[in-house]
Amino acid sequence: MQSLELKQVNKSFGSLQVLSDINLKVEKGEFAVIVGHSGCGKSTALRMFAGLETATTGEVLADGKPIAGPDPQRVMIFQEHALYPWRTVEANVGFGLELAGVDKKEKRARVNAVLDKVGLDGFQRYYPHQLSGGMRQRVAIARALVVDPEVLLLDEPYGALDAITRLQMQNELIKLWRGTGKTMVLITHDIDEAVYLADSIYVMSPRPGRIIQKLTADMPRPRARNSQAFVDLRQQIMDSLDIGTYSI
Amino acid sequence: MTQPASPAPAPQPTNNKAGAVRRRPRLWAKTWPYLAAVGSLLAIWQLAATAIGKPFLLPGVVDVMPRLARIFTNEEFTTGFFKSLYRLALGYPLACLLGALLGLLGGVSKTFAVYLRSLISILQSIPPITWVPFFMILLGFGDLTVITIITIASFFPMALSVLNGTEGVNRTHLEVARTLGASRGQLLTKVFAPESLPAFVTGAQVSFGNAWRSLISAEMVGGASVGLGRYLSYRSEIADMQGVLLSIIVIGTIAAVIDLVLLEKLKRRLLHWRYVSGGDQ
Ligand SMILES: Nc1ncnc2c1ncn2[C@@H]1O[C@H](COP(=O)(O)OP(=O)(O)OP(=O)(O)O)[C@@H](O)[C@H]1O
Ligand SMILES: [Mg+2]
Repeated sequence: MQSLELKQVNKSFGSLQVLSDINLKVEKGEFAVIVGHSGCGKSTALRMFAGLETATTGEVLADGKPIAGPDPQRVMIFQEHALYPWRTVEANVGFGLELAGVDKKEKRARVNAVLDKVGLDGFQRYYPHQLSGGMRQRVAIARALVVDPEVLLLDEPYGALDAITRLQMQNELIKLWRGTGKTMVLITHDIDEAVYLADSIYVMSPRPGRIIQKLTADMPRPRARNSQAFVDLRQQIMDSLDIGTYSI
Repeated sequence: MTQPASPAPAPQPTNNKAGAVRRRPRLWAKTWPYLAAVGSLLAIWQLAATAIGKPFLLPGVVDVMPRLARIFTNEEFTTGFFKSLYRLALGYPLACLLGALLGLLGGVSKTFAVYLRSLISILQSIPPITWVPFFMILLGFGDLTVITIITIASFFPMALSVLNGTEGVNRTHLEVARTLGASRGQLLTKVFAPESLPAFVTGAQVSFGNAWRSLISAEMVGGASVGLGRYLSYRSEIADMQGVLLSIIVIGTIAAVIDLVLLEKLKRRLLHWRYVSGGDQ
């Protein structure tokens, strides 16, 4: 499994500075969550781990080695499921294996196994437009899991889902991750989601993004959303994001 | 399948096969306005013929139809007919292939896209039949000249359409493929190409119109000694108005059949995922 690290990373798009001197280290097998204001550069940071973006200055490392480009060992899951509409569920999930030239029989077996895991067995022949939003995101997760990557990068994977589905998906994600030893980096706007899922939480400042705080969530899983530890951590995140209450 | 006559609650279509049942009334809804359009054209023609009253100048529908029915026994016509289809069958697919390849390349290389757009805008401003004299001298009279002209006239709508299609490719779709380890070639065949298929189909339809028009006009202005276009212009030279009219009917019918039946079938086949019922997209 891989550890991930940003070392004194700065990133500018033209004259717009997006990331400012970011230091961040995600250990092997850790579930890290990044929260922060919209536009503070969370996606940009994650895309660096995926090899889709390069740092203007500083180092982006996987297992201590610089990341040169995309690698199927580090798969990204996007906010808009980004399934291929012309492919069936089966073909979407098997895409990574197809690219790697895995033979048909093995591909089918692995696709079916993963679909079974995400609860979509029986939907092999469906097209994405025939699925609900939650099912589409499950397919996107299955598409990433089927190549058995060491790192999963999730960019607000549940941002487009309703609250009930989102809670359900959070449980599923934890179940999929536990015991696999995969390194996870998840971005979210949802503070409860961060506290519920994370081992460690990075809070970013508004643009140009810096890491303002690193918090550790060490409550045992499954976590009770109303436990004192949970509520305290939530409050700490809100404080560092500078979301107070309003005064009358 | 028989439809229940009573308004008993019809079983809700739950699988994809049920879509076929619902397609039949839709097909009819599309067909009848088409038939009405054909009918009204024939009616105007017949009215004009009756009003003019000189069958040698403008024969009526009723004068031409019997000859149309027998036209395939006329050897001069049938050789021309098959010759034209033969040229189309070579030139048009060649143009589609060429256009699609160039368009796809333009999607991958920005520089090539600019080059291609310039090339297209130059070719677009030259009417295809102006190539007839040029290629007649270069390639001689006949198939090669006509096929070359069809290809020139019809590759660029395809190229343009596919180029626009590839430029509009969803960026996230590409990034998904890249993070899953796609090579440049795989991006081309597994993302750019399928994502440009709708544009390919549109291109095929527009290109077909260009191919057919340039084929007939190239034959008419003397690019070849046999062919539907040549038959038509010869009938005009000998003042055979019936022959002229029935050529026009045949030329129009072939184009309509290819466009509405063959290309429509192709579209449903290539984009079949779009026609699967259910869902909200
Ligand atoms: N390719 C790009 N070119 C220019 N500017 C960009 C590019 N990508 C991102 N930016 C800019 O960088 C800033 C940060 O973008 P980013 O997508 O990382 O934010 P984010 O924290 O993920 O926001 P959100 O929570 O809304 O998704 C934004 O102001 C955006 O306009
Ligand atoms: Mg973002």
